[in-house]
Amino acid sequence: MQNDSKEWVLDAETEYRFELDPGASLAIKLVHGQAEVFGAELAEGKSYLFGSECKAAIFTWQGCTLQITGHASTEYVSDETPMAAYANLHIAFEQMRVRALRVAHGSPNSDDDPNANAEPPRVLVLGPDNSGKTTICKILINYTVRAGQNWSPILINVDPSEGGWAVPGAIAAASVQSPLPTASPANPLGSAATSAPTALSSNALVPLSYWYGHADIKRNPLLLDRLIRNLGENVRDKCDGDPEAYTSGLIVDTPSSFASGPTSGASTDSRHTLIKACVEAFKINVILVVGHEKLNVEMQRLYGSRLTVLKIPKSGGVVELDLPYRQRVHKYQLHTYMYGQKIEQPPGISSAILGGEAVTDVVLSPSSSIINFNDLTIYRIGAESMAPSSALPIGAARTVSEMQPVLIDPASSGSGLLNAVLAFIAPFNPDETERYDEEILDLNVIGFLVITNIDIPNRKMTILSPNQGSFVGKTAIIGSFEWEE
Amino acid sequence: MSIYPQAHSYGQAAYPAPGYPQPGPPTYSYQQSTAPPPSTYYVDPHSFRRDYAARLAQLTINSRPIIQSLSMVAQEYSRWAEIVVQCLEAHIRRVPPYMKLPSFYLLDAISKNVYDPYARHFAPFVVPLFLETYQQVDQTTRSKMEEMLLTWRTGAPSGKELFGFITQIAIERGVWGGDRGAADISKAQVLSELEFTLSQKERALQANTWDHEARKHVEVLQQLRSLVEAGVSQDELRQILSQLRSLSQSTAPPTTSSQPQVSYPQPSSTYQYPSQPVYPARTSFVPPAVQHSESINSSYHYQSTDQPKSEPLDLSALLSTSVSSGPSTSTSAAPPSNIAGLFSALLKAGIVSATGTPVGDSSSAKAEGSTPQPSDEPSENEREASRSYRRAILAETIKLTNADITKKRPAIVRFMYERLSVQCKQCGVRFSDDVMGRKDMESHLDMHFRQNRKANQNLGRGHSRSWFVALEDWVHDTSTDYKGKGRADGVRPLNAKASALAEAANREAELRAQFVIVPPGDEAKTISCPICKEILKSEFLEDDEEWVWKNAVKKDDRIFHATCHSEALTSVQSLAVRLRNETTGRSRSGTPEGISSRASPPKETASLRTSLSPTAESKRAALKRKAENDDPSFHMTATFDNDGTPPMKRLALEA
Repeated sequence: MQNDSKEWVLDAETEYRFELDPGASLAIKLVHGQAEVFGAELAEGKSYLFGSECKAAIFTWQGCTLQITGHASTEYVSDETPMAAYANLHIAFEQMRVRALRVAHGSPNSDDDPNANAEPPRVLVLGPDNSGKTTICKILINYTVRAGQNWSPILINVDPSEGGWAVPGAIAAASVQSPLPTASPANPLGSAATSAPTALSSNALVPLSYWYGHADIKRNPLLLDRLIRNLGENVRDKCDGDPEAYTSGLIVDTPSSFASGPTSGASTDSRHTLIKACVEAFKINVILVVGHEKLNVEMQRLYGSRLTVLKIPKSGGVVELDLPYRQRVHKYQLHTYMYGQKIEQPPGISSAILGGEAVTDVVLSPSSSIINFNDLTIYRIGAESMAPSSALPIGAARTVSEMQPVLIDPASSGSGLLNAVLAFIAPFNPDETERYDEEILDLNVIGFLVITNIDIPNRKMTILSPNQGSFVGKTAIIGSFEWEE
Repeated sequence: MSIYPQAHSYGQAAYPAPGYPQPGPPTYSYQQSTAPPPSTYYVDPHSFRRDYAARLAQLTINSRPIIQSLSMVAQEYSRWAEIVVQCLEAHIRRVPPYMKLPSFYLLDAISKNVYDPYARHFAPFVVPLFLETYQQVDQTTRSKMEEMLLTWRTGAPSGKELFGFITQIAIERGVWGGDRGAADISKAQVLSELEFTLSQKERALQANTWDHEARKHVEVLQQLRSLVEAGVSQDELRQILSQLRSLSQSTAPPTTSSQPQVSYPQPSSTYQYPSQPVYPARTSFVPPAVQHSESINSSYHYQSTDQPKSEPLDLSALLSTSVSSGPSTSTSAAPPSNIAGLFSALLKAGIVSATGTPVGDSSSAKAEGSTPQPSDEPSENEREASRSYRRAILAETIKLTNADITKKRPAIVRFMYERLSVQCKQCGVRFSDDVMGRKDMESHLDMHFRQNRKANQNLGRGHSRSWFVALEDWVHDTSTDYKGKGRADGVRPLNAKASALAEAANREAELRAQFVIVPPGDEAKTISCPICKEILKSEFLEDDEEWVWKNAVKKDDRIFHATCHSEALTSVQSLAVRLRNETTGRSRSGTPEGISSRASPPKETASLRTSLSPTAESKRAALKRKAENDDPSFHMTATFDNDGTPPMKRLALEA
């Protein structure tokens, strides 16, 4: 273990890549020059902390000197990056935004290209596992908010295994106004608002979130389809009322399972259905396919006539991530949602900043409370374990449909509630006449809870919630995620 | 209201501008029968003394509002200056050491704001009072007191010593020892004054982070400080001191009284947030840099015209070389001492380069500084700035094709770095170096300032993750821009939810503060609110000497609870919205009660939602419901009954 700091001198358009082991942390200080981490520029002379098995890269357009303190399991400098392509994309998208803004203002079309599309960029990013989709979304968003034009693009995450600002199992959208920091895989897209004051608005994002509840999209594609459309509808409403959000456009990050899978059969149908749901829900006009020739061709065939489909290069820096790693990241995410971030500073570093904030400002205290079984109504959507419809015997019907809310009795021993992650959802419509059977599927998430103890004899359960609040008369939905501290 | 305007006005009040407000003649206050609180109106000095002493007792912490209000009372009752002065002296002597500094700030504020007659009343005892206090307090407070003492040197409206030359000297001698005229100058004194000048420069730098000149000055001063700390000779100490003084004092001589507050720190930043004067309260964005260089320049002139002996160490000249390439710089004397050697080394090393904004002579600098921007110019500039960005972006020939994206050399560096040449040192966010960029940068720094202050206030208090906002708020919230960029609507809340809650709380408080004066003779009558049927509470208002109904509003000769009335109005409005939506064919009925529970136009498009559902039954069911709901009268009853509104409410609304 080496603790002394080293200096790395990077040439223009190269990047320093690093990977951290569990428990290790790294502090990076820009000594000289200009550098950015996934599109977010570093301030000179500040120590930026990275931890929780973060794998990231510091790129420089014009060259820089970095001082690295701490121990990375892998670190090297690469001069082969796809950043030029990403930058070109950004400029092309800026042109679309500028044209859209001009149309919104009703200014005369003084452009050289009168036939140019006057729609703002609404981008869907597709790609297989480990292709860097989320990173590309982040870079494009960060460049957009850095343009100095007060853009506030909407970043949408429909990858339930990623979680975004929420916890894994959720899909969400948020309007972004300042660069998204990178510090740990626990909050790759900036973090949701806390009661702490933040220096970066990206650490106080206000997401709109829906609860899918599972990591795998194949578990209940019908539900995911519906949630994507709900999200899309509300994003459209927001853009209708906010010309600034409209002209800034949006970027959609997708799960890798949208891209890969067998080319025929039922699962192809389901992923094509979900891609179609995204395209329709968010009125996508550009599809970016990251490093996947076949998918590119597929998308060209399906959508090439209506919208732009573009294949973009994949970064050589992406790291193959295995299942245990992803499961650890899920734990980090849930822990960060409740407790905030805590990354030990490497020896010799005293005043580092974590994701743009002072280290003390990102530690949170959740609240634990004991409630009666009857206080909180808990549902599961669909049956607990469900074979795909195609696997059922011919003529057999499901006893419980995929979309049916099933009430869960905490008193039954097989409830599966202990350590379960629950989505605490917005209240039902107060107007009884407006209620409908599956309303619960269309309600957005207010927060996430974890059941840490169940006391069946006394009909009580202990709930960990992000902050203090009453659960009486409220509703929550269980998924398939569990979390133990 | 934002913090800045307040701080600004306070700063102005403390550091008099040309139109220095003289306290009005005593008779004035007799006419002010309608004056707002705190002008509770005293007829005899005894009750005034009692009251002022009681108010002073509240001054236990460094609170600007308290200091401000006490200073305002002092201004209003300047005819009883003696009483104020006696109370304050007694207070300072009585309170424990940790509470003394705020009281001194009050003394300072009163003396500067209402120079006449207070300064001469304080003058007789300020020396022992200051020095005794100085002995009792801790080191941090001492340095604050020293800082305050230095502002007293030019605290008078004329730019002279606030309490007179003799008093000033006496205190300074007591604090730093030695004698101004004699040979002994203590290191502590020099260091203290150095700190003071340095903090001024640092504030100027904070206000204007890309001001390279200011940064160089700070660097030079820091070098100087480390030198002095290491130990230098008496002679050198004296030279440094006199240079420092001329640097500070030349900022407020009578001749330049048009801008007397040039390089003094805005006192508000000291008073209000003494623990972190990192972000200065600024009056405007452009002036600090100009004022700053002007002060350097005028001090230089002061030196060159009035050089009594050949100064071997000409600090101000040295500093001015970094800003001025004007003709007069050549007169700086060759520095023989080793400190001066350091300076020339610094100069050679490029730390204090001779490049930078050429300022020329002081008159031109002043002209530059005092020329206000025509009010419509910035917006024109702003438009031009974003127009030029758009033109540049559109001038790029790039298409969304594989060839263009992968083959071209991006012009990204030009857009991301060169166009945005100014960077926030805190978080790395960039701004353009033009009117719009400077404005954005300014509000960005304000945002950091507010955030830091909030962080300090919240120190030790736990934080927690907030609930996500209700759907309604997410869709309609366009005010989430809290990075302090662009739009000029003042302080932005930290998040949408907090702002909604704060807004609701404010509204509620405003409503509750409304009252209706009970007509004479009706005091004994009980009346009830037509909406909620509860009896209105009457109360006696001491200030107005009237009986009033609290939380009440009078509409069409009937008296309602202000809160009930407002609530009723909102539901009428949302009903109107609902009906309007109904006629445009889109069912927008029913509001999912959000966590903020504020009345907002209803949303939740049940029919649209359900149509997404693949099951045919639910679709039909929804259509059926929609048909039912389309009857407006059904709606009205449904709404009211569900609000739990008593039927009387409807009657009241119809009335």
